[in-house]
Amino acid sequence: MTTPQCGRLLAGVLLGVVLLAPACAHRQAVIAPEPQPATAPAVTAPPSPGQTSTTVAPEPTITPAENPEGEIKSAELPADIEQLNKAGYLKDAFFDTSKSELRPDARDALAGDAAWLKQHPSVKITIEGHCDERNTEEYNLALGWRRANAAKDYLVSLGVPASQIATISYGEERPFATCHDESCWWQNRRDHLVITAR
Amino acid sequence: MRSLAALGIALAAATAAAQDEVYLKVTTPGLSRVVIAVPDFTLRPGTDPAAASTLLGTLRADLGETAVIGLVSPENAKLVVVDPANPTLTRQRWRAVGAQFLLDGNLAGAGSQLVLEARLWDLTSGEVAFSRRFQGTIALAATMAHTLANELVHLFTGRPGPFLSRIAFVSDRTGAKELWVMRWDGSEEQQLTRYNSIALAPAWSPDGEWLAFTSFLRGSPQLFILRPTQEYLKVLSALPGVNSSPSFSPDGKSVAFATGADGVTDIFVVPAAGGPPERLTHTLGISTQPAWSPNGRQIAFTSNAGGSPQLYIMDAEGTNLRRLTFEDTYADEAAWAPDGITLAYTTRVGDRFQIATLDLRTGARTVIPGPGNNESPCWSPDGTVLAFVSDRTGSRQIFITDPTGHPRQITTRGNNIQPAWVAQVQ
Repeated sequence: MTTPQCGRLLAGVLLGVVLLAPACAHRQAVIAPEPQPATAPAVTAPPSPGQTSTTVAPEPTITPAENPEGEIKSAELPADIEQLNKAGYLKDAFFDTSKSELRPDARDALAGDAAWLKQHPSVKITIEGHCDERNTEEYNLALGWRRANAAKDYLVSLGVPASQIATISYGEERPFATCHDESCWWQNRRDHLVITAR
Repeated sequence: MRSLAALGIALAAATAAAQDEVYLKVTTPGLSRVVIAVPDFTLRPGTDPAAASTLLGTLRADLGETAVIGLVSPENAKLVVVDPANPTLTRQRWRAVGAQFLLDGNLAGAGSQLVLEARLWDLTSGEVAFSRRFQGTIALAATMAHTLANELVHLFTGRPGPFLSRIAFVSDRTGAKELWVMRWDGSEEQQLTRYNSIALAPAWSPDGEWLAFTSFLRGSPQLFILRPTQEYLKVLSALPGVNSSPSFSPDGKSVAFATGADGVTDIFVVPAAGGPPERLTHTLGISTQPAWSPNGRQIAFTSNAGGSPQLYIMDAEGTNLRRLTFEDTYADEAAWAPDGITLAYTTRVGDRFQIATLDLRTGARTVIPGPGNNESPCWSPDGTVLAFVSDRTGSRQIFITDPTGHPRQITTRGNNIQPAWVAQVQ
């Protein structure tokens, strides 16, 4: 795990910067393939309905965002779901010890996720709630369930249809890092967003 | 204890004195051991010698494990000169080396059959206190010994002995968390599930016929019920949520468990035979780990309603809810002692888990400190011993501890967690 880099990038997220490139890859810190060039800017530019009528010189860069259905962009996403997840379009949300309340950095990450999901309405995701090992197994199962649903509720509040989102808790059963101190624990206290259908 | 002191005086032997000290150290004040002599059994012609050896060896090993029965030490037993022509004199000699009771066994058999006639002499009164006849095949020699040992423990304590008891647990030794079962001393481990998924939270029905547990077998966690002897599996709850932490009612008819939609986890009850689950709690956060009281009238559980996980108790209908723990920063995994008075649970001391007990009559809380993290307490069916999980050796293993707090590791391969103890598997 390249934990320190991951941490610094997260600090960037804390400042409210929505990173264009896949920032903090999930389980493996693999350098993710660049997304399709047309797709990347869309993350920062939600469709703007007023744009088409009055502009004399159309902006040359905006193309996919003009498709309200998002179907074309879905086609541009990697066909393979595994590749899609590795590309890091969605960011995970991290939690304080034993808490399920969304921290500001978690809200920022999820706001970016919400924007992307709204632009890709055919995509379905599962939010996996994960915990560190400092509660009992069964309490953690319940805590992970709460974390997963806290993120779902926030995404729905930002306009993502609930039908796009499934939730599951893995408690402490599927840790991202396996050492027994905070350098691993913080990585395990997270909602991991997994794309299950494109 | 008086008879042991007398023994030291009577023999004045260094070996005997050393033996006394061992007994005294492992015996807490107020908890006296009954000392039984178990000399070699008399074998009638035709008895299978291997089966006889298994039976006697198993019986002595079982009795040596109890907190309530002590065996006459081999050194002292050697001092007894057996006079076959004068059994009364022989019994007096056993009494002189500290025995309060003498188990007199006769084994007979033909072919694969084995018959044990056992008599327990009370050496103080000179009367037979107990007499039993067991018959079975030689393959059941160990079971015969366990059954006799159980009856002896029952005779002296009024509680069932542990020797046919089994502990179900979760092990990751195959690479996935599966259910396993073993004898109470860690022997005869058997793998119960091969789902290559995540299995958690095994709970026995009181009669040892069913095992309820949580599995991710079908993707999301669901509550299953398994009949270990028949490889029979069915779903008890596939409600939204975690479907975890089953606990059978003492009559075996209902299973309390934890689940809930939309991130909330509450306590539910479902008929063990299947049927619609009923919700008992209406908390806004997490309520989990229900534990049904031995009299069936109450359910203890964990809730974070007050901010941190703490133990609560309610009537089995969900009424009379109240908080039990106030001194802990963390309290979870309540386990009722069979007496219905004491709860063992997992607390946190500093940054480590420790086992604690709570006396429900007095509110007295006792932490049982141990090295590493210690969690998931579980009572033996007779309530004299606790099983628990500790990481003191580096991996997570199941230990059992006698009433004096002396722990013994009973698992070694992989990580082994969440013990659930039952008197006998049906």
